[in-house]
Parts: sequence; C-alpha cells; structure tokens
Amino acid sequence: MNKLKVAWYWCASCGGCEESFVDLSEELVEFFESADLVFCPVATDFKKEDVERLPDASVDVALINGGIRLSEHEEMVKLLRRKSKIVVAYGTCSSWGGIPGLSNLYNKEEILRAKYLDPPSINNPTHAVPAERTRLTKLGANLELPAFLDSLLPLNAVIDVDYYIPGCPPTPEVFKNALKALISEKLPPKGSIIGASDKSLCDECPLNSTKPEKILLKELKRPHETIADAKKCLLTQGLLCLGPVTRGGCGALCIKAAMQCTGCFGPLDGIADYGGKAISFIGTIMDYSPAEEEELERAYSKIKDWVGVVYKYTLPASKLGGRVRREKTKRQEEAEIDE
Amino acid sequence: MSEKPRIGIYICHCGLNIAGTVDVEELARYAASLPDVIVARDYVFMCSEPGQNLIKEDIKEKELNRIVIAACSPSMHEQTFRSVLESAGLNKYLLEMANIREHCSWIHSDRRKATEKAKEIVRMAASKARYLEPIEEKTFPTTRNVMILGGGVAGMRAAIELAEYGFEVYLVERKPILGGKSAVIGYISPGIRGKEIVQKMFERIRGNPRIHVFTQAELIELKGFAGNFTGKLRIHPKHVNERCNECGECEDACPIEISNEYDFSLSRRKAIYKPFPGSYPEGYIIDDRVCVKCGECVRACRRKAIDLDGEEKLIEIKFGALIIAVGYDPYRPSKGEFGYGLSDSVLTLFQLERLLDEDGPTRGEPIVRGKIPETIAFVQCVGSRSTTPSSRPYCSRMCCTSALTNAIRLKEKHPEIEIFFIYRDIMTYGSDEGLYEEAGKRMIKFIKYEGEPPQVQITPEGVFIEVTDYLLQESIRIPVDAVILSTGMIPPRDLGDVIAVTRATCGEEGFLREAHIKLAPVESPTRGIYIAGSVSGPKNIRESIISGSAAAAKAMALISRGEVVAEPMIAKVDEERCSGCGICISACPYNAISIEEKEGDRLARVEDALCMGCGTCASACPSGAMQQLGFKDIQIRAQISALSEVEGK
Amino acid sequence: MNREWTPRIVAFVCNWCTYAAADLAGTSRMQQPDSVRIVRLMCSGRADPQFVLEAIANGADGVIVAGCHPPSDCHYQEGNYRAFRRFMLLRRVLESMGVEKERFRLEWISASEARKWVEVVRSMTEDLKRLGPLRRDEEGIKVE
Repeated sequence: MNKLKVAWYWCASCGGCEESFVDLSEELVEFFESADLVFCPVATDFKKEDVERLPDASVDVALINGGIRLSEHEEMVKLLRRKSKIVVAYGTCSSWGGIPGLSNLYNKEEILRAKYLDPPSINNPTHAVPAERTRLTKLGANLELPAFLDSLLPLNAVIDVDYYIPGCPPTPEVFKNALKALISEKLPPKGSIIGASDKSLCDECPLNSTKPEKILLKELKRPHETIADAKKCLLTQGLLCLGPVTRGGCGALCIKAAMQCTGCFGPLDGIADYGGKAISFIGTIMDYSPAEEEELERAYSKIKDWVGVVYKYTLPASKLGGRVRREKTKRQEEAEIDE
Repeated sequence: MSEKPRIGIYICHCGLNIAGTVDVEELARYAASLPDVIVARDYVFMCSEPGQNLIKEDIKEKELNRIVIAACSPSMHEQTFRSVLESAGLNKYLLEMANIREHCSWIHSDRRKATEKAKEIVRMAASKARYLEPIEEKTFPTTRNVMILGGGVAGMRAAIELAEYGFEVYLVERKPILGGKSAVIGYISPGIRGKEIVQKMFERIRGNPRIHVFTQAELIELKGFAGNFTGKLRIHPKHVNERCNECGECEDACPIEISNEYDFSLSRRKAIYKPFPGSYPEGYIIDDRVCVKCGECVRACRRKAIDLDGEEKLIEIKFGALIIAVGYDPYRPSKGEFGYGLSDSVLTLFQLERLLDEDGPTRGEPIVRGKIPETIAFVQCVGSRSTTPSSRPYCSRMCCTSALTNAIRLKEKHPEIEIFFIYRDIMTYGSDEGLYEEAGKRMIKFIKYEGEPPQVQITPEGVFIEVTDYLLQESIRIPVDAVILSTGMIPPRDLGDVIAVTRATCGEEGFLREAHIKLAPVESPTRGIYIAGSVSGPKNIRESIISGSAAAAKAMALISRGEVVAEPMIAKVDEERCSGCGICISACPYNAISIEEKEGDRLARVEDALCMGCGTCASACPSGAMQQLGFKDIQIRAQISALSEVEGK
Repeated sequence: MNREWTPRIVAFVCNWCTYAAADLAGTSRMQQPDSVRIVRLMCSGRADPQFVLEAIANGADGVIVAGCHPPSDCHYQEGNYRAFRRFMLLRRVLESMGVEKERFRLEWISASEARKWVEVVRSMTEDLKRLGPLRRDEEGIKVE
C-alpha cells in the first residue's frame, strides 16, 4: 500500500495544534508507518518553492491549521489547494477563526496600534508599525513583509475545504478518529466535520443526568466567583457552560475538571451561527419576565464581554463576521461625495 | 428532501385590490424566473372556482410539488388554497402564501415601489417553498362535552342547545345566580321582557339533567387543546342548602345591609338575601364579601338550612370545547359626567328600567326623589361614541332602542310626563325603527345636537339641561325633574382573569376578539374556544341569544365527530442530533417535552397532543435537533436569505 | 446614490398578534413606508437570534421582533417571554458588534394595534434613514 502523502501547514496559529500532533506520542510511530509528511514548516525545513515543484494534486491530504491573517497565508493555502487532493481545516482557528478571530472586532489600524503603540510596556519612540514595504536606508535595501489582511478569515473563506477537524486544539483522540475517516474506504461527505461527535457535548457529559427537569437561572456566575460542584451540571450552577451548543467529541475534558465548556469544538451541523444559537439558549433559561427588564439587564451585565463568550471561537465564521463597519465601504465614501 | 422542487406561483389580482397597485404581469414574469419555478401565472381572482381549477390543473399536468399563492393574508384564504392542493392530490402543507395585498398593495400607492416590494415578498415565499415538506395530520379523540363560562342569556342559550343535542354541559357562573343582566332589565321587543325569556330558559335548564350548573364558580386553570381540555374550577361554598324554603326569616335577622347591585344601587339588601323573585338557582344566598358570620341567620332559620362554614372546592372537569359568554358591564359615568353622582335626579337607563319593573324597588312606579317627575330628559350616548373624555368610541347598539322602549313605557303609564330625548343620531336599526315612530306619536320631544354634548346643570333652583338644538341652531335650557343617562356597554371588569386563564385575546376596545369577523365569527383565535354574547362587543338580548346558538353550533361541529385533527405544525425531534441537554423543556410553555431514556441515550420527546406549535423550543434547541414542522430553520433561513437577490435559473 | 435611500427592515412577527395587526393596517389602508419585509412565525418565541443575524447578513438595515403583549396576551402563554430574554442579550451582543440599538427593536403589538404597527414601521424607517445603511466592510466570508 502506498503511504499517504500528507502536507501540514500553519497559518495564524498559537502552536497548540502542532502540539496536539505531538500528543499522539507513541502512536506517531503508527502514523508514520502509513503516512509521509511531504511539507511541514513547523518540523522540517521546506520552502514555498519545494511545494511549487510538486505536481498538482500529488499531495493526498493537506492539513491546515490557524486562521488566515496574512497575505502569505492566503498565498500558501491557495498553493496547497492546488497541490492537494483533500484539504482539511485542522483545528478551530482554521475551521471558524478561533480565538484570534476575535480581532475582527477591530480594524487593522486599531490592532496595530494596540500591539505596537499603546502598550505601556513598549518603547517605540519612532512609532514604527510593521509595514508591507520598509526602506532600510543604511543597507540601501527594501524589506518586504506579507500584508496584514483587513480581517481574520477562516480557511473556507479563501479556498475550498473538504473536511474540518474541530478543537482548540483537537484532542489526539479526535485526530486519530479523523485520520481513520480519511483513510477509510468510503470518505465522509464533503464539508463534514470529522473525528468528533455528531451531537452536542451534553450527550457525552457525565453531568448531563444531574440536570433538573427545567433549567431556569436568575444569576450568571463567572468561574472565579464560585467553587463549582464538580458533580452537578455546571450550567445549573449559573456557570455559562456552552456544552449544549457545542459539538462533542472532546470527552468533556474541561467539565471533568469542573470548568465550563467555552465552545472550542464549534457548532453542530445545521447551526448557522454559533453565537446566535448560544444567545438563544441562554435567553431561554434566564428566568425573567418582560416586567423585570432591569433585573435581567443586571443579570446579563455580570458577564463583561458577551461577544467574547458566545463567539470565542467562531466570530469570523459568524453571520456578521465581526464588528460591522470597521471601515467605511467604498459605497459609503461615494455616498459622501454625492452629498 | 430528495424530490426536486417544482414550484407553481399564482398571483392574484384580487380584482383591482392588488392589480390596481402592483404590476401583476411583471410580477408573474419575475416569479417565473425564480429558481425551481415551473410556472407562474396571474389571474383575476385566484380564490374563485376557475382560479382554483387553474392551480389544480397545473398541479396535475405540470407535476408541481410546491405552490406559492401571492394574494391576500393567509388568515383569509390559506385554508381555501390548502384544500385546493389537497383536492389535487398534493399534501396541503406544500403551500406558501405571499401576502401582497394587506402587506403591499393596500398600504402603498407608488406602483413601481409596490411592484418591487411584491417581487421580494414572492421571492422570499418561493425560497421558503423550496424547502417545504409534507406534514401528516394526526387525529385525537375528543371529549364530547362543553364548558360554558357565563350564565347570561348567551351562555344559557348555548347550554340549552348543546344539552338538547345530547351533549353534557358545564355551565359556570361567577355570581350566585344565572340569568345575567337580562334577568332584571331589558326587552326583546316592547312586548317581551328579558326576564321572561330568562325565566323560560331557567325552566329548560332546571329540567335538563345534561346541564350541570356551577354558580359562584370560576375557571382558574385551563390545560389541553381543542377537543381535550381540562379545566380546574374553584367553587365558592354555598352556605344555604336545599332545605331553604325562602321564608325570609334569616333576611330579617341579618344585621348587615348594603346597596343592592341587582337594583343598580337603587335599593338596599342584606348579607343574606334573595336577589329577586324567581332567581335561579333557588334559595337564599350569603354574600361572603360582607357577611361577618355573626350567626343571626343560623339562629333564625328553623329548617337548619344555613351553615356558615364550608370551604372552597377545587374540581377538575374534562371537556372538548369552551364557550366564553361572560357578558359586559354597564358603563358607569364618572362623577359629574352629565351630572351623574351629583343629584338623585340623575339616573342611568339601567336604574330607570329597575324603577319601571313591577318587582323593582318602587313596584314599577318611576319615582324620582319621592315623586313621579313631570319632565324627564333622556341623554343618549353616555359612555359611547366619544361624547366625553372617559367615554368609549363605539356605539353600544342597544341604548337607543332601550331608551325609547322605556320612554314609551313611561308614556303608557303616565301620558302626562313630558319627555325630552336628547340625541346625536337615533340608532334604532332594523324593525326597532318602529319605536322611533311610536315615540313621535306619543309626543316625545326629540332634540338633536351635534358637536358639544348637552350640559346637565344641578342648581339650587333645580336641574336644567342646556343643549344646542341642531334644528333651531340655538342653545336651549330645559328645566327637568329627572335625567336618564343612556349608558352603554363596556367589557366586564373581571375579563382580565378570564383572559389570563383562557388566553383569549381582546381587541382594541377591550372586548374579546373573534378570530375573523366574517370567516370565523364566534370563534376565538384558539381552536376549541368560542365567544358568545356581548363579551365580544355590544349586543342586544336578541343578538346575544343568537350568538349563543352560533357558538353552540360551532362547538358541536368540533366535538361531534368524535375526533379532532391535532395542531399539525408541531415540534419534532431529530433523534440523531438530540443530545438530551433538556434546554427545550425549559422553553416549552405547555410541558409538552420530556427527556426519555432510549437505548441508553437521553433524548427529548414531544407529546404531540400537548404541543401547540409555537416553535419556542425549536429556537431554543442548541443542537438544531428540535424543529418546528412548517417553520424549520432551513425553511425560515431560506426565506430570509432570499432578501438578497437570488441567482436565477 | 442620489435617489432617496429606503432602508430595509425584516420583521419577525407572531401570527396571532403582530401579523394580524399588520393585516389590519392593510385592511384599513394605512399607508406605510415600503421598508418592511415580514417573516411570519407562529410565535415571537420562534424568533431565533440566528434569523436576526441571517437577516442582517442578507442586507437588512434593521430588524424588528414583534409579538403579543406580555404578560398574558401571548397565544402560547409565555413565548413572548423567551423572545424578550433573547432579544435583550442579542441586542447587547449586536451593540458590541457595531449594530446600533435603533436597528434592532422588540415591540409588543396586539392584533388590534394596527396604528401602533404603522407607527413602529414609520419611526424605525426614519431612524434608519438617519443612521444610513448597515453594510459590512469585508466581502467574501463564506459561512459553513
């Protein structure tokens, strides 16, 4: 049997996904018995030219993790798409944008300012921020950097994606399941999420059966405000566990450590907007009537950053994608000229 | 769904109602260009026989499997067109209505803009239609009996109809006796008094074992659905039992005296009392709101018929349909409104009727301030037709007729009394117009005014009415001995309690709203709940009785078949996706969902019969496993996403 | 862009109260701005926040969720309570994402309140005209 040719590329990544690969530990041996890594910048020294030299569609599976933040990412994933039979979005960032996707609440300038100009710990007397082209006067040369895109995009906003492996990062178990699916006789339908469960986390959560018949909350709690009873459904204790709206498959690792699910496995099939669905279910169980608007507002205001809660991992893939009107559109500019 | 959509779009001109504002030909051309649309036609009246046939033929010939009707509101003709689909052999839920009349042609005048909007409405409907699925209707057996709230003429009439057709009836009345206001006031025609009709109804009720009367009772909980309701009644203890022979000695002994509501406060009564001769159920009544339980009556009663103890009873009753006939309240003028409350010379029409009643406080003599007045003025439209700031905008229907009937009766008894009838318009509709002529013959003086309502002046010299006579076009001031305010009808004050339990909805004036004034009269928007009598708006006795019969007929139509079709657009769980998280249970207002163990899996289960199809659980479900038939996520999202232009074929 | 711009509003309304009110406004020939597209649901409790987001993503400049008056007008007992709680949270999130408060309204409009319906349509249309279009700055984000 021919060995599977696997390419692995990282975009805007924290390194956790790569770590999760290493977490296969002794099973890595098994992996390398059935697969060859033909491209993997994190572990081996390959250049873009090496990939360009590969014949089109010669790579069996390209695993791509991290969101698309730079023009370099865009370029590389397009190249890999051409070279690969199957492209898999590996991990939550690549699938929906992940935590770096929350940067879509700000525009490019705000991000660069927050990173390079505003922090009190930074000494930047020349107010330098990375630019695509910098003239290095002493050397008499130009330095070119990849462009910083307007927003962070999930992989499927740039190229066609065949499968998704969820998780921040995916657990070794999920990765193994996904690999199994990829080398099986009958491939899952295109667009499938592989390696994880088809049901929400509650399905595999050991605390699911501890729920009362109706869950109604008067108060929401942040994790540091309470010592959670690890034997009782965390949601019913007022902790915003997003297990009900999150795909299972992780084995309820966080819950087992008395930490609520924050939703890293993303939405289930058919859910159009993870945050919208989270809002819907949270709103359902808040026990306030329209006559108690102030009280409800007070209960909600306990959570300081709702976008960060309900869209922690999925903002770029959400219906709005991020903050609306971060910059004026061309149409608006034209409209202003008209006036 | 595997079957590829083949959509037919039918655009109704509705005469000129739609075609007058929307370019229907252009709309049809546009509709034909939408994805999966096989045919799009426009026609002058889609709901007409030929219009319906057009659709039926297309369904058969062109093998259509989804139909979009762009016409009026679904509340108008959705049922009509569903039947069309059904008769063409298509599941009737493969229909989507695009409302381009109420929501477009009738509210816009710019033809271009209205046409563009109509295109969008049709596009959105067609987009949803692509995802429609057949829905199977389920039937449930019905309980073949009826509960009626309110024991006035409408409620009693309905009870008699139903019982005589063989149905068990639970007639529930809040007050201690049946008969409502017609038992003490009102005429069906000048010769026939309301109380005579009421007495005849008492006879029929008394003799009918199928009518179960609960007085001093109220419905405090309603569960279930059309055909299978369960109601909880709270029944106030009756302190007087059937041994009472109405000797009246208890009444004499009772130290408590209050104003008598059955005489509209013209007389006083005791805490233990009999409302009026012939009141039903028979026997004395103790008014627990004022009784101090001193025990005088118990000591006075020789037949030991009185027991001051006793507790409220709660009972549960199952029934298939509910009729709400809780009547109205008389409009009570505010203090000073046309002199009301400032002088004993100012009475309401309701009070005058009691005075003219042989069983009334003055044994039928119109005695005002100790004597029979020489001049009486009737002031019409008190509380109605926006005469004063606190007055209601509507006409109360019965006051002109009733006031004229009583004016004529006064003249019959005392031709010498001079009667002025101050009005804006005389609303003696139908055959009651004869009363107007009769009044003229009896020399009742009609004074018409417009604009500024008459002023009732209470002065040390006497009572005067100042009004600008429309014919004379000048202000006149008439000294009178009595003023009769023709007060109208308002929704009963405790209607809110009934609404809270039954979820009936009220209209702008606070009366209960019928589902559709033409297409679904006496029906409430909730299936299985009907509305009779003046609780849905002012009616005279005759009209109330008719609506009682109508409501009974509707209730019978529902329960007599022995089964009802359940709400079809209910929630359904996709067990492949349900994780048993239970959020849907918190969402359901009907406790229709539970968690069930199934082969080791926790899964949500919907009790079909209890689900009313609101879809709240579907939006709550975090997995997308719970879906509402006819309003699935995918269907609604398709409708919304068609907001932005869709690609053509 | 010289022609007067009309905002687009998507209204998610319940079948029993607000849809009937909009019908009544039609039957009474009450002229209204042509800004609203109505999505009929059986209950305001069916108004999933996802639908609101879907509407905004598809070009709505404003969204109305409307149902029966609390506490007891709701045809389904308390569907409107759920609508209310979700609305309050969704509006918070939308505001953080740059969708102004005025663009998202929750209204209780009974079947008889045709006048109120028209007033809501009118005033929201005015508000939106003042605010201008709600457009997203980036193109090409595919979802799913």
